[in-house]
Amino acid sequence: MSENKNIKNLKEFSTSADRFEGANLLCPGCAHSIIVREVLNATNDDLILSASTGCLEVCTAVYPYTSWDASWIHIGFENGSTAVAGAESMYKALKTKGRLKQPDRNPKFVSFAGDGASYDIGFQWISGCMERGHNIMHVVLDNEVYANTGGQRSSSTPIGSSATTSPEGRRSYGEKKNKKDMVSIMASHNIPYSAQVAPNKWKDMVKKIQHGFSVDGPVFINAVSPCTTEWKFDPKDTMHLADLATDSLVFPLYEIIDGHELNITYRPKTVVPVEEYLAAQGRFKHLFKDEYKHLIKEWQERVDAKWAQLNRREEARV
Amino acid sequence: MAFDKMELQKIEVWDGNRAAAQALRQSQVDVVAAYPITPSTPIVEGYAKFLADGYIEGEFVMVESEHAAMSGCIGAAAAGGRVATATSSQGYALMVETLYQASGMRLPIVLNVVNRALAAPLNVNGDHSDMYLGRDSGWIQLDAYCPQDAYDLNFIAFKVSEDHDVRLPCMVHQDGFITSHTAQGVHTLTDDEAYGFVGEYQPMNDMLDFEHPVTHGVQTEEDWHFEHKARQHNDLMTKVMPKIQTAFDDFEKLSGRKYNIVESYDMSDADVCVVCMGTSVETAREVATEMRAKGIKAGVVGLRVIRPFPFFEIAEALKGVKAIAALDRSSPNGAAGMLFNELAGALFNTGTKALLSGYVYGLGGRDLTKAHLVSLFTELQKNVDAGKVTTPLQQFIGVRGPKLSFL
Amino acid sequence: MANKGWDEFEIGAMLRTFEGKIDDIAGTLQENRAYSQNSSFVASVADWRIIKPVFNKDFCIDCQFCWVYCPDISIISRDKKMIGIDMDHCKGCGICVEVCPTNPKSLMMFPEKADEETELAAWPAKNEEKK
Ligand SMILES: Cc1ncc(C[n+]2csc(CCOP(=O)(O)OP(=O)(O)O)c2C)c(N)n1
Ligand code: SF4
Ligand code: SF4
Ligand code: SF4
Ligand SMILES: [Mg+2]
Repeated sequence: MSENKNIKNLKEFSTSADRFEGANLLCPGCAHSIIVREVLNATNDDLILSASTGCLEVCTAVYPYTSWDASWIHIGFENGSTAVAGAESMYKALKTKGRLKQPDRNPKFVSFAGDGASYDIGFQWISGCMERGHNIMHVVLDNEVYANTGGQRSSSTPIGSSATTSPEGRRSYGEKKNKKDMVSIMASHNIPYSAQVAPNKWKDMVKKIQHGFSVDGPVFINAVSPCTTEWKFDPKDTMHLADLATDSLVFPLYEIIDGHELNITYRPKTVVPVEEYLAAQGRFKHLFKDEYKHLIKEWQERVDAKWAQLNRREEARV
Repeated sequence: MAFDKMELQKIEVWDGNRAAAQALRQSQVDVVAAYPITPSTPIVEGYAKFLADGYIEGEFVMVESEHAAMSGCIGAAAAGGRVATATSSQGYALMVETLYQASGMRLPIVLNVVNRALAAPLNVNGDHSDMYLGRDSGWIQLDAYCPQDAYDLNFIAFKVSEDHDVRLPCMVHQDGFITSHTAQGVHTLTDDEAYGFVGEYQPMNDMLDFEHPVTHGVQTEEDWHFEHKARQHNDLMTKVMPKIQTAFDDFEKLSGRKYNIVESYDMSDADVCVVCMGTSVETAREVATEMRAKGIKAGVVGLRVIRPFPFFEIAEALKGVKAIAALDRSSPNGAAGMLFNELAGALFNTGTKALLSGYVYGLGGRDLTKAHLVSLFTELQKNVDAGKVTTPLQQFIGVRGPKLSFL
Repeated sequence: MANKGWDEFEIGAMLRTFEGKIDDIAGTLQENRAYSQNSSFVASVADWRIIKPVFNKDFCIDCQFCWVYCPDISIISRDKKMIGIDMDHCKGCGICVEVCPTNPKSLMMFPEKADEETELAAWPAKNEEKK
């Protein structure tokens, strides 16, 4: 195991030499990119990366350009996790056989994928990778929608959000089903580490990514990724939206160690009402009509209940 | 760490699956990512057991689907090492998306395909539906007729697929059960001979070379996609056959066993012939010999290489013949058979006057009997005598019910 | 990059980020890397911008918020100091301005055509109402 990079504060972090490049084709203000940078900059070790089909992939390796400064592979929409798992298996095989070109390295194997690629179509692949114990980290760029294909719902899309396949309309308030709890599902594979992160809390992020890199076995990370295009907010407000997400507890930050030990890693000093989070985004605009006001109340209740549940799980140390 | 060599008999009694598994062991495959499906499962079970017994070093990754199996193989191959797996039928169908991805990314992977019918209705027995499904996928496809071929062609597959001028994945096909589960005498190579032939894996564009990071699996749109696909097609059309021929020649020097891109049997003076694949080739050869005793000059042409299609080689093999039957073991579902169409394409602009007819046979493992072939050769002779095709162009053989024919 | 013909590029649509060998990527700053023509680092998205950030170092406290939250690796920080903006890669999202904590801000958005010298000269004073 290699030494973790020493990142005590932001100034120190800012000496990182990025391994992800600009002039990619992501929207101005896209949080995917911010998350990727924080993850990659958390280590100085060599990286073997993959991306599943989705915004990150189609915007960062458009021939003849690549935005990746480490080896990177994309196969398809569902199988990015298995792509790095395959590479990791080859690494192990060549290590055993003494055929690595640079045997002294400590590569980290990271798979980036959208919520569609992770919660839906790639679910089985990720589950397989987690169950088999590959030394890989799977990072979900969770923008709660199929952004790359223009805003269809995924099983991460929350209730009341208007997506193109669950649109709000005269007889509908949009998405009817609640978001899948992927962190818990993945933790239930009894993997050494799973966590929810947010790009605005860079220190929490870096700590978790470094923890993830230091354990032996698969790691699952769910990163909230405010999407200016599909959430419908001004690109300059991406970090503001991330702040609202974490501080309203819609995206609570926590980690689950060895599948059971839950720690809440961020407790907002002032909890922001969920209403404020919703109001900042076009995808929830219709909820502010009189007939849907109750949904906002229910939203708050669900967030409170989830927070209470997380607190109970933390206390119980089950 | 190290592993033990295995002392093999000069002739082992192996079925096709065992033969393929032994070839994977002797080729010292680095990673196998696999998922079980009848009748190919024993190949990857074989690798797993060799690993468990210390006869090989590597990683066996038992994944959760065939799609994941090929995805894992792609990741492993891109990382930079020798990769193989096996599948059949539904598993193959589930892999199709990744087959195109593997070949488009120019990754050498050897896939043993134990041919089996495709559902519905579900069927575990051998026909060529799965093999046909992959024929536009950009892979090299080699066809084994018996366990010996399955063994030998795996070595050829690694050799050609991993060649830096080729870098295309390769399938080795064998017929489900008839080859895969029927034990026959197989002439072996020693471990050293086999590995010496295949050679050490030579990495290229390998992700694990940390000093030369590489991006695999890019997006190309209308400004680039065509060129990349054209490049791949060009390499299949121009680079692969010569490499296969060289590998066949080298293999003959090593083993004394001669393989040909197109396997012609009794064709030098044949009037009528059958063109087919898989185990049917051997049955057809037997019947052809019997037909000669009855005065019909019969021959057989077997495809050894299905993709790239041996367009010129097959036209050459068929140049003197007067009537040809193309035998397709997959339901064309609304068209002429694949082989019929390929042969028609290969012969159309040549000077041939041969009469071409097509037959669909053996679906879901239905036997192709000698009697079927006797009447088939007889029909071909009738065509020759009449100077025209006297039957419909497409006939089903061996199916119950009223005679089924089209075109 | 010129539009090459089918026979002119690497097989498999494979791309290499760097020319030749690179030893320690994480330990090599961008200016010291030999990027190939295929790295998007050599490309520009400057024409995406309608508005652009202007940096006024007089007020900067080198907190590095802009560095960490810039999605486009366009805040150039060296030796823990914010030294400027990479105008080839900046897409003009405005995040850096939003996260800049100084008063007045050390980064502000202006129309793409605006003259930097003029804007710096007319930089607003401390806003007393804000915290
Ligand atoms: C097998 C397959 N099905 C569907 C698609 C179409 N597709 C590509 S990306 C995408 C949505 C991606 O959504 P997500 O994973 O959430 O990533 P995002 O773009 O939101 O970051 C879809 C539906 C595909 N490429 N492959
Ligand atoms: S649509 Fe959303 S996720 Fe996709 S690039 Fe734009 S901001 Fe990023
Ligand atoms: S405007 Fe956006 S892209 Fe440009 S430097 Fe600021 S944060 Fe980066
Ligand atoms: S955010 Fe503002 S104060 Fe902080 S480093 Fe950037 S420009 Fe300077
Ligand atoms: Mg998404």
